[in-house]
Amino acid sequence: MIKLEHVSRWYGDVIGVNDVSCEIGPGLTALLGMNGAGKSTLMRIITGQLKTTTGSVAIDGLEPFANPEVFKKLGYCPEIDNFYEHYSGRQFVEFLARLSGMSKSESKARTQVVLEHVGMADRADKKIAGYSKGMRQRIKLAQATVHDPNIILLDEPLNGLDPVGRREFIDVLGGLADQGKCIVVSSHILFEVEQMTRSILLLHRGRLLANGDLRVIRSLIDKHPHQVRIATPEPRRTAEFLVTLPNVVSLRFDRADKALQLEVREPDAFYDALARAVLEEKLPLESFTSPDNNLESVFKYLVNA
Amino acid sequence: MSFPTSRGSSPIADLTYRNYDGPLDPPVNRWVAIARNTIKMNVKKKGFWGWAILSALWYLVLIIVFYFVDTFSTNIPVGQQNPFFAQIIWKDQFLTAFGVSQMMLFAVALVVGGGAIANDNRANALLVYLSKPATKGDYLIGKWLGVFTLITLVTAAPMLAFYLYGALSYRQYGFISDNPTLLLKLIPVILIPGFFHASVVLGVSSLFKQGRIAGAAYAGIYFMSYIFTSAMRIVHIANPPGKGVPHFADNLYYFSIDGIQIGMAKALLNSSGNLFVSVVPGGGRRMGPGAVPIDAPSLAIIAPIYFGICALFLWIAWTKVRAVEVVG
Amino acid sequence: MSVATIQNLTVKYGNFTALNDFSCEVPEGCTGLLGPNGAGKTTLLKTLLGFVKPVGGGGSVLGFDIARDGRAIRQRIGLMPEQDCHIPGMTAVQFVAYAGELAGMPSDQAVRRAHEVLEYSGLGEARYRNVETYSTGMKQRIKFAQALVHGPKLLLLDEPTNGLDPAGREEMLELVRAVSHGKGVNVLVSSHVLPDIERVCDQVIVVMNGRLRASGKITDLKRLEGHPVDVELREPVPAFAEAVQKAGGEVISVKSTSYRIRFPGTPEEVVPKVLLLARGVEAQVRGFAVAERSLEDAFLDVIAPHEAIPQVSIV
Repeated sequence: MIKLEHVSRWYGDVIGVNDVSCEIGPGLTALLGMNGAGKSTLMRIITGQLKTTTGSVAIDGLEPFANPEVFKKLGYCPEIDNFYEHYSGRQFVEFLARLSGMSKSESKARTQVVLEHVGMADRADKKIAGYSKGMRQRIKLAQATVHDPNIILLDEPLNGLDPVGRREFIDVLGGLADQGKCIVVSSHILFEVEQMTRSILLLHRGRLLANGDLRVIRSLIDKHPHQVRIATPEPRRTAEFLVTLPNVVSLRFDRADKALQLEVREPDAFYDALARAVLEEKLPLESFTSPDNNLESVFKYLVNA
Repeated sequence: MSFPTSRGSSPIADLTYRNYDGPLDPPVNRWVAIARNTIKMNVKKKGFWGWAILSALWYLVLIIVFYFVDTFSTNIPVGQQNPFFAQIIWKDQFLTAFGVSQMMLFAVALVVGGGAIANDNRANALLVYLSKPATKGDYLIGKWLGVFTLITLVTAAPMLAFYLYGALSYRQYGFISDNPTLLLKLIPVILIPGFFHASVVLGVSSLFKQGRIAGAAYAGIYFMSYIFTSAMRIVHIANPPGKGVPHFADNLYYFSIDGIQIGMAKALLNSSGNLFVSVVPGGGRRMGPGAVPIDAPSLAIIAPIYFGICALFLWIAWTKVRAVEVVG
Repeated sequence: MSVATIQNLTVKYGNFTALNDFSCEVPEGCTGLLGPNGAGKTTLLKTLLGFVKPVGGGGSVLGFDIARDGRAIRQRIGLMPEQDCHIPGMTAVQFVAYAGELAGMPSDQAVRRAHEVLEYSGLGEARYRNVETYSTGMKQRIKFAQALVHGPKLLLLDEPTNGLDPAGREEMLELVRAVSHGKGVNVLVSSHVLPDIERVCDQVIVVMNGRLRASGKITDLKRLEGHPVDVELREPVPAFAEAVQKAGGEVISVKSTSYRIRFPGTPEEVVPKVLLLARGVEAQVRGFAVAERSLEDAFLDVIAPHEAIPQVSIV
């Protein structure tokens, strides 16, 4: 649905994005990167606010820059808070609905629907100037979905929400993704992103560093072999056995001497061997986990490479 | 070879976090620290020094003129006074210099006070102040004192330096004998610009979010009122007292930022001010080149107006300095 | 020994009651302050800073009365505010030293200490630059430094990782953890980012609807009854869940490849059982651990124990 081919954009000497090529399909994709990596630039290119310096971007085959046809298919929930403060939430969303070409009665009806959807229906008639951060975020989502676009981009949408609000928002986004819409969320808060999706797009200093499923990416990072943490009542004896396994690359005792930290190649073979060890050799284990099989670790490994 | 200073201490110093257990002043009177900081920050500005030095301009002119007249006057019969100096009223010289320096003092007020609160508004600095044992009152008093002190010192230095010079050099021309209490009367005059500008510029500064714009606003007020009073001055020149325009127009001269301060000075020094000339015995006035003295206003009228304006702007600053929600 | 005690505090803004007969104790060490927006968390922080005149009840912070000794409290507390704030026209060193002076330090001590604290916060040469040129991460560190400069015994941090990218967040959390463990500085962290709190704090206080909802050690809150375990498979295998049930275990939840199940016995005894079952259905076990609630789940349970999760409505 979104296709970027060799997209680059720079501002004078400063590079925004550098030769990014990818395809983003239906479902929820997370756009990640450090501050200044080019996430906002990329979002603005996709939403047609910026033109690419080189390369092409296509939304369902159309170029988004200054193209109203494309805007009908896109919903954008920006990071900045720029509202007409004297409007009520409802007026604001209705106004934007009208702007996208709906008739007056249509906009009224759709506004009510999206306001209920984001949980603002009872508070939408107060002026925006008095809204808390969480309420503003919900209004932003409402205006992004009022024209029922197929593609929604959100820049730091969970900022300022309390955990309850965050859960609700994530559920709403999940629901939209399940309908087959293409949702791109840019966020710093990795643990939230992890709850939403495993599909990531990682930018670093303007370049595309990774694109795909988190688990797959993790397994491909050679430089950092798979980490396993094994808690056992007999660390030394367990270690003695594990050292004999050929895919164990390194082994450390943790400080309290209650657990072992291993680095492992070919995790498949290792886990089979481990299962055999427990069942046949009666190796005593209390738990085993992979501490770096999460988004935060993957992010760190890729960015610091 | 070095040894550890006490048994058991490591040769490697522990540079991890250490808490501070040193002395702390009691949590009152923070305005002292704020005033001190305001002064320290502004004393670094080149603009401050530039305008401060320029404000001493007229005193320099006086010294040069008097020096030349003194040195190069010829044809004075022995035992007689130099007629030029005979007609000099010393306190009027201070008054004229005070008037000339008004614009430079205004510039100093802009440099020092324009951004005083405005820049803090933009940077949300009040949040930092309030999270320490400093209150809104401390903040305003500290800023006011800082600006006041700087402007007053700039006013005082040349004035007192000239007084000292005069006391040493022009004794024979009646510098001390004409008016022995002049120094005492000059002291309140020295306080006039600082008090006024500190109050007004803080009020104006609190209305804006950028020092430059606050400064521009104050400059706007200054010049608009200046244009008004220059017009009044011309009216006065064109219509000498008693003929045509009522005396009232004279007093409108004092309705500018310069004017109100000059008016206060005139009232305190009890003089209408002259340029190198004095009242001719027997009535009437002898004019210098283009100088038409305007009568000193009554202290009972101008003092309340002066303090009223200061109070108004201080009140503006007080209400405008948003009592920021420290936790929001 | 507690750092702050609040007793039966009632705070009203006009007709709105922000805190209602609120009592709590802030223990020593590092404590998290949690609560939904508008629950009274903000009011509680303001109260701890001595800004609030209560309608009823009272309390003390570090031995000072909250209604009377506001200034003394603010001298002994450091606050790292959520919003951006700084004093314009100063370098980092000047700013932090000034903050120290405002707190009451003599100026020579303030400068020396400013350098120490800035070094600790990780600002090297950058400390000589004007604060206005700083990036978000550096601004957060400056706020942290100015809160620490006067050696407070209680540090209040309001959303300390706001706006930080993952690397910056980790560094900030390291700083907070290091200062709060073993250095005699008590920390209260108010945040919506629960993993941050989990990482840094040992106990939490949960505020809701103007009252204390829960408080206690994080490890206690996260514990689940009956020692369920989380089993991670390489791929989702429905047959595994069935096998568990047939073997007499309980399947609590299934999420993609994560199976939360319960078997009687210690973890050591359950491991071989689970591995055997997995082998039987040709699934590979990639993880096995005693299940803990995440702090976020624990928090959400505490907030709304009987409410059903809202259904997602169709657009």
